[in-house]
Amino acid sequence: MKTLKEIWAYREMIFSLVGRDLRGRYKGSVLGFAWTFLNPLLQLAVYTMVFSIILRNNIKDYYLYLFVALVPWIFFSSSVSGGAGCIRAQSGMITKIYFPREVIPISHVTSQFVNMLLSLIVVFAVVIISGKPINPIALLYLPLIMIIEYLLAIGITMLVSAITVYWRDVEYFMGIIVMAWQFATPVMYGIDQIPERLLKYFNLNPMTPVIVAYRSILYYGEVPEMNTLLSAVLFGLIMLFIGWTVFSKLKRHFAEEL
Amino acid sequence: MTVAEYPIVVNHISKSFRVYLDKGHTLKEMALFSRRRKFEDRKVIDDISFKVKKGEAIALIGHNGCGKSTTLKLLTKIMYPDTGTITMSGRVSSLIELGAGFHPDMSGRENIYINASIFGLTKREIDSRVDDIIAFSELQDYIDNPVRTYSSGMYMRLAFAVAINVNADILLVDEILAVGDANFQAKCYDKMRELKAAGTTIVLVTHDMGTVKAFCNRAIWINKGVIAAEGKSGDIVDTYLEYMNELRMDNINEQAREDENNIIAKKLQETLKKKEQQDLPGNNKLTMDPKAIHFGNQKAVIISCEILNSKGIVVKAIDSNENYSLRFTYTINEPVEELIFGMGIFTLEGLWIFGTNTQMSGLKVNVSGKSGGVITFKGEALKLSGKYILQCSIIEPDTTPCDYYNEYTRFDVLNSTREAGFIRYKTSWEITE
Repeated sequence: MKTLKEIWAYREMIFSLVGRDLRGRYKGSVLGFAWTFLNPLLQLAVYTMVFSIILRNNIKDYYLYLFVALVPWIFFSSSVSGGAGCIRAQSGMITKIYFPREVIPISHVTSQFVNMLLSLIVVFAVVIISGKPINPIALLYLPLIMIIEYLLAIGITMLVSAITVYWRDVEYFMGIIVMAWQFATPVMYGIDQIPERLLKYFNLNPMTPVIVAYRSILYYGEVPEMNTLLSAVLFGLIMLFIGWTVFSKLKRHFAEEL
Repeated sequence: MTVAEYPIVVNHISKSFRVYLDKGHTLKEMALFSRRRKFEDRKVIDDISFKVKKGEAIALIGHNGCGKSTTLKLLTKIMYPDTGTITMSGRVSSLIELGAGFHPDMSGRENIYINASIFGLTKREIDSRVDDIIAFSELQDYIDNPVRTYSSGMYMRLAFAVAINVNADILLVDEILAVGDANFQAKCYDKMRELKAAGTTIVLVTHDMGTVKAFCNRAIWINKGVIAAEGKSGDIVDTYLEYMNELRMDNINEQAREDENNIIAKKLQETLKKKEQQDLPGNNKLTMDPKAIHFGNQKAVIISCEILNSKGIVVKAIDSNENYSLRFTYTINEPVEELIFGMGIFTLEGLWIFGTNTQMSGLKVNVSGKSGGVITFKGEALKLSGKYILQCSIIEPDTTPCDYYNEYTRFDVLNSTREAGFIRYKTSWEITE
């Protein structure tokens, strides 16, 4: 509770670190901030090309089907795999100045989150252009699922970033884990394509309900099932608790290890 | 005794570092050698307690590695003590790392916001201070340029301006005022004095004893992880400097003793060799090369010329306030009537500080019939610290050198004052108005 209060007091630090990251990222490039929108658009173009010309399948508007799941997945994967090294990357600050250490993983994930928000603008534009029905009631659930994914990403990032301080290999390990994780999550395929007997294992994956919820809101225009939402909330809170607890234990010796 | 009266309360803290002799960081090393990893726990701070009053400035002093910087890191909460507690009340600003989080591509103004936010300021608080910060940094004309275009001096000025304008209740400062030009340094101290007067509690870690005396009310001398002394800054600084001088003098003399032993062994060999050569007929010529370590006709030879401190102990370092003497031990190889003994002191740059000889002092040294002896020169305190060269010589009354050393040895004069210049003499001040 005390830590939460302190993080609130340092909220300006989170804002400015996120701002520094977002604005600093494309500094020096000709297109600058436009890359934030250009990146997802070009990705979409590639996927559309591949799946409507080469790898044809019978899901209607597969490019969109994929895209509405891929954008939240990219947020999650870049938070976690990039986040593993985020404490190490700021070792200069950690060893020299005091601030609540939680600020670093929180700002990292927040900065990825803002990126996703900007990408979602592109997603909406595409959804509208494609003529898919938009369900306003379903859309009300979008912020909820986004917050759940945000908390989940913070929990896991805190966990891996704190362990990476002591054990550098985790950072490299996470690259592979996240890649495998993507295939274990219904991003490129639907939950209905998973064999019945494997379904219970897929449901242990905290990202499964999140991605399923995004897809039902944005692609099908439906309110996500209560089951899906509940398990997403549960996973999010459990991971946040684990990440937070481990981080609090490990953070005391960051300065000495770095 | 409320907490607010003592914003910093340090209660029996200890801290050890685990020093790995070879640390495995990778998975393989961890798995395979987990039992074989060697380490030792090094205790850096051993049961330190102190309190700092509101509005007080204290200095942590001590030689390198004594634990003072670690203490400061514990105060900032960068690290945590193994045992004991630290209670800090109020906002803490540290001038330990300046310019934390600066982004080179962003403007000075944007970086003020980033840097200040790391000190825990909210946007509104920064908004109200940004003008003061810019004014203090004297960078009005450059504030909207990217920081990468700044010179290192400008960079430090901006960083310092932010850190000092945080309006902290406690300010922790680590040896950083060595930045910027003299004017800016003076400005920083003025600002710190102002903050102190306004009730900010300041902890300073520095090697500049003048600053400690002038700026701090109290000093804590940390030695080997424990508090060696604590009290009024002037007293503590004097005790500390005295201790450091003694330590240095001991070190120099220790080293000198070792060297001396080597030199004696070398000299013995040299003399033996010479004896052999002299025994050969027709080989008895003068060594008159002034570049040689010593030169002369060798009718009389200096065996040693020792520096003695006021207690009569042979040393290589003397205190600037103590009288010293030079003890010449010599032998005579060929019968002579009279000898003149001389000494001189030079700086390392070759500047002649002082020189005299027995003749100038009006002493006639009759050595007829003697085969050697000892003669001692006595000098008053040398007053000014520094490293000096000792010259010594034996010459005949017609100025023919018998044995002449341009540089016999080097020695140190140490003192604890910071007075500067070429000579030091008795001075005093009087307040006339």
